[in-house]
Amino acid sequence: MRIRTLVQSGIHLLGVVISSLSLCAYASPKDNSLVVAFSTPLTTVDRLYSIQREGLILSRLTDDGLFYVNPDTLEFEPLAAESYQWINDTQLDIKVRNDVRFHDGSPLTADDVVYTFEWVLDEASETSRGPVIRSWLESVEKTDTDTVRFNLHLPYPMALRDMAISIPIRKAGTYDGTRGRENAAEDIPLNGIGPYKLKEFRAGREIVLERFDNYYQASPKANPAIDTIVFRVIPDQGTQQAELLSGGIDLMMDVPPDVADNISHLPGVRRKEGNDIRIGYITLDAAGYSNPDSPFTNVKVRQAINHAINREEITRYLVRGSAEVVHFACHPRQFGCDSDGPRYPYDPQKAKALLAEAGYPDGFSFNLWAYREKIIAEAVVSNLRAIGLDVDLRFVKLNVFSKVRNDRNMETFFASYGSGGTADASASAGVHFASNTARNFTKDEELAETLLAAEQTINPDERKRLYRNALNRIAEQAYWVPMFSYSQNYLLAPGLEFPVPNDGVPRFWQASWSEQ
Amino acid sequence: MLTFILRRGLMAILVALTVSFGTFALFHYATDPAQTIAGEDAPQEMVDEIRKQYGFDRPAAVQYFDWLGSALTGDFGESYFWKQPVVQLIVDHAPVTITLALASLCVTVLIALPLGISAALKPNSWVDRFALSTAVSAQAIPNFWLGLMLIILLAVTFPIFPVSGDATWRHFVLPSLVLGASSVPAVMRLTRTGLLDVLSSDYIRTARAKGFTGYRLIVQQAMRNALLPIVSVLAVQLGNKLGGSVVTESVFSMNGLGRLAVESIFNSDIPTVQSLILIFVLTFVLLTLAADLINAWLDPRIRMG
Repeated sequence: MRIRTLVQSGIHLLGVVISSLSLCAYASPKDNSLVVAFSTPLTTVDRLYSIQREGLILSRLTDDGLFYVNPDTLEFEPLAAESYQWINDTQLDIKVRNDVRFHDGSPLTADDVVYTFEWVLDEASETSRGPVIRSWLESVEKTDTDTVRFNLHLPYPMALRDMAISIPIRKAGTYDGTRGRENAAEDIPLNGIGPYKLKEFRAGREIVLERFDNYYQASPKANPAIDTIVFRVIPDQGTQQAELLSGGIDLMMDVPPDVADNISHLPGVRRKEGNDIRIGYITLDAAGYSNPDSPFTNVKVRQAINHAINREEITRYLVRGSAEVVHFACHPRQFGCDSDGPRYPYDPQKAKALLAEAGYPDGFSFNLWAYREKIIAEAVVSNLRAIGLDVDLRFVKLNVFSKVRNDRNMETFFASYGSGGTADASASAGVHFASNTARNFTKDEELAETLLAAEQTINPDERKRLYRNALNRIAEQAYWVPMFSYSQNYLLAPGLEFPVPNDGVPRFWQASWSEQ
Repeated sequence: MLTFILRRGLMAILVALTVSFGTFALFHYATDPAQTIAGEDAPQEMVDEIRKQYGFDRPAAVQYFDWLGSALTGDFGESYFWKQPVVQLIVDHAPVTITLALASLCVTVLIALPLGISAALKPNSWVDRFALSTAVSAQAIPNFWLGLMLIILLAVTFPIFPVSGDATWRHFVLPSLVLGASSVPAVMRLTRTGLLDVLSSDYIRTARAKGFTGYRLIVQQAMRNALLPIVSVLAVQLGNKLGGSVVTESVFSMNGLGRLAVESIFNSDIPTVQSLILIFVLTFVLLTLAADLINAWLDPRIRMG
């Protein structure tokens, strides 16, 4: 939003004034609370009905799934599950822990697990998670007192991922008497099994959590240091900065690097940088959906575009932090993100030569669409103009962008993808080049089949081989211009200890106040 | 008078219908609500299911008339984003906006009227020049900048008021000053001009000859006529504040109708956007109508005409 940019600019200008006065108050850790700013309001605290990233952050505090994502290795490990065993490629047995309690004090049982997954499988539940889970899970049944069997339609190696990220366990009967999206409303009290329980939810304003004292000690999330966590909804980043300086909040997330540079010099603010599994990329309409005669249907043109963009400098000077250049259609930390396909170093002369070979020695005109990081999109436009292309930047809001992209009316677009925090190539290449997705701007059926096979193969080595083949193919055909991985900037109040996450999803149970 | 009210009422309905159709058409053809609801990172299966669940796969005309039919019976539908009845959302958010609009109108009146009267009583003096400078400055300063200055000064550097939120009366002080300041120039200048005109009229000269001075001359004799255009402007300004507090609510993170409108637009929440625009349009038309009626009450010549 333009307003936001202007407000931020004003904040930067006034930073000097504030620092000279040095009268800002510090957040007080006396009550052992933590106040975090959310830029987007959460419409529900129930993860089964929430699609927002903020919902995932919250759910990791209030809920536990059967599995969880290890913050260090990003692998999926048992959480509310005691153990698990693949009986065969389509049957998974999970033993449920017997020391887990819901926030209302009742114990977690296998019946609760069965109820949760049956609810998600029921189309009438209208959960946001339903379509994905139904695509691989056929049924779920209790096989003994504490064991649940999952019967899959097909082999699906990401089953543990979905259980870890998407499905919080609900107490049997939670949704009785309700149906569909009604559950997403704030009327049903959240009864999770996470290390924090919900104390107050004021939609669009704030969410208050307090530590759950009966949380099971065997959990890697046990014994969090903070007593109370408050999420305040403050949409404007300029206002968030003022709140941080005045002690109204203790932590800001998703801070743009230029803002972080300026604000972190002020007294009372500390900056931390972390990794993010999100990558930036440019899609080229290789299939000619937007225009059958599009120059982008020519592989030489696509390769020229790849050579024309100076990814190293864009990453170093505009994205900054821990960002790295990405050469393939996945994040380097993702499982299967290993390719020996061609790389395209910055070489404008070679790009011009490729354009000439493709029959466009004088270039051509097209639009580059984008909805975020305008400065990066402008840098890309500048690089492309330098090789003689007439590029017009169409910078629009996300909802407009999605519409034009889904209608496949874009010749090229700059976008990003966070893979839902999943460290697996199925969540990046698998999502963008599958045959059924509007994101796929190729008509490469062989590639789609390779990716589908990888998604339905349990053997890790075979999956890696399939992903390597797919990524090589994407690189050879230059369907994408993979750009960079993102870096996450956090601004913290002094004294707040907070280990930065590896996947861009903060785990606030790890936060604490140091002695001052 | 009845014909006048009926004519204005009919015009309001036509405007509301046109605006609602325009809004729907813009959103339908420019955005993909299913993708927005599912989230940008959502898998295709989820987007497709949402398209089916919400009926976005039906023809556009069917979707529009479906909404319009329900709206005519008072059912404005359910918000795609908040998953709540739109009416409930509006009822929840309206108090903040109404409070802010009224408080800022008070700020406008408290600053603009004394300034305008002072300027009119001593035209071309330093008082007049001060008042005009204030008006020009207030007009030139953007809302977000003034908001930012006040936050930096009165919430960060000298923490007298909270930075953001709408929980207590203290949260309304800074935003009311910001929103109120934006209307000061129009009201101040109109007060000055109106009062100058009235003060040079024959009946005021007669009143002065009869010995009316000071408060009795200005308030009892002159202001009644000078108020006529001010009432109209204040009504329009109130409409502006009720429907145009988007920037102020965003900067101060207030959960009012303005912020709801922005969030709904960015989230392609068509039922909420349409309902809000309908409300904003009707509010504006009704306030203008109210201004005309008050003017008619204040000025018998308008009633007669």
